[in-house]
Amino acid sequence: MIDPLRAASAIAGSGMEAQTVRLRVVAENIANANSTGPTPGSDPYQRKTVVFAAEFDKLLGAADVSVHSIGVDSAPFQVEHDPGNPAADANGNVKLPNVNVIVEMADMREANRSYEADLQMIKQTRSMTSMMIDLLRNS
Amino acid sequence: MSPVYLFDLASRHVSWASFRQTVVTSNIANANTPGYIAQDVKPFADVLDSSGLEMARTSSAHLASDDVTGSVGGTTEADPWQVTDSGNSVSLEQEMIKADEVNRTMSLDLTIERAFQRMILTSVRSGS
Repeated sequence: MIDPLRAASAIAGSGMEAQTVRLRVVAENIANANSTGPTPGSDPYQRKTVVFAAEFDKLLGAADVSVHSIGVDSAPFQVEHDPGNPAADANGNVKLPNVNVIVEMADMREANRSYEADLQMIKQTRSMTSMMIDLLRNS
Repeated sequence: MSPVYLFDLASRHVSWASFRQTVVTSNIANANTPGYIAQDVKPFADVLDSSGLEMARTSSAHLASDDVTGSVGGTTEADPWQVTDSGNSVSLEQEMIKADEVNRTMSLDLTIERAFQRMILTSVRSGS
């Protein structure tokens, strides 16, 4: 087992990485909030979701986090009547992505909050380490 | 001269605190993991009581016993503040409070060690 303080930094780092992936997925969803299918009547962009998994690391002596998988949201698509749209089917209906921008915003804020908490832990761990190094200095 | 136990006690407390810091960080990293149950370590008094006498290592071939962090062990958080729908029992606020506690504990321990170190240095210097 490595030094617990170093392990703490590594674990907080894994948390930050996971939250970054989540933020990337949120950005992808928002960017594609209006992406319709390429051909008439085809399915539009499907909202992506990210799944985290805790993983006990024997070397670190505690559980770090990793992105387990990126799945898709199976909620139904929104349908809009817009016969002029190139993606409209025979009845003039267009399928729009199942992305709710408000939900994505909430997700983004939560990812941000968790990222900041991880960052705070790295800062605190670093200050603990430097407190210990200060002991070696001539007082 | 009788041994001074304070150094030993303080450094054991420091390693307990650093292990707790790891566990708290692990909770925070898993704040959004579905089904993750918040962890904590046993209180220091329990760890100290349970660590009995150990046999000395007189040869490098002897098996090393675990240090204090090895015997701390994780337990689940006794009083989680919130449990979300996904079964996650980590509360960031609670973890922040724990982290601050750890930080304060460690600062206290290191101040004690420093005071003792200064005391020993004083007696060494006055002898010359």
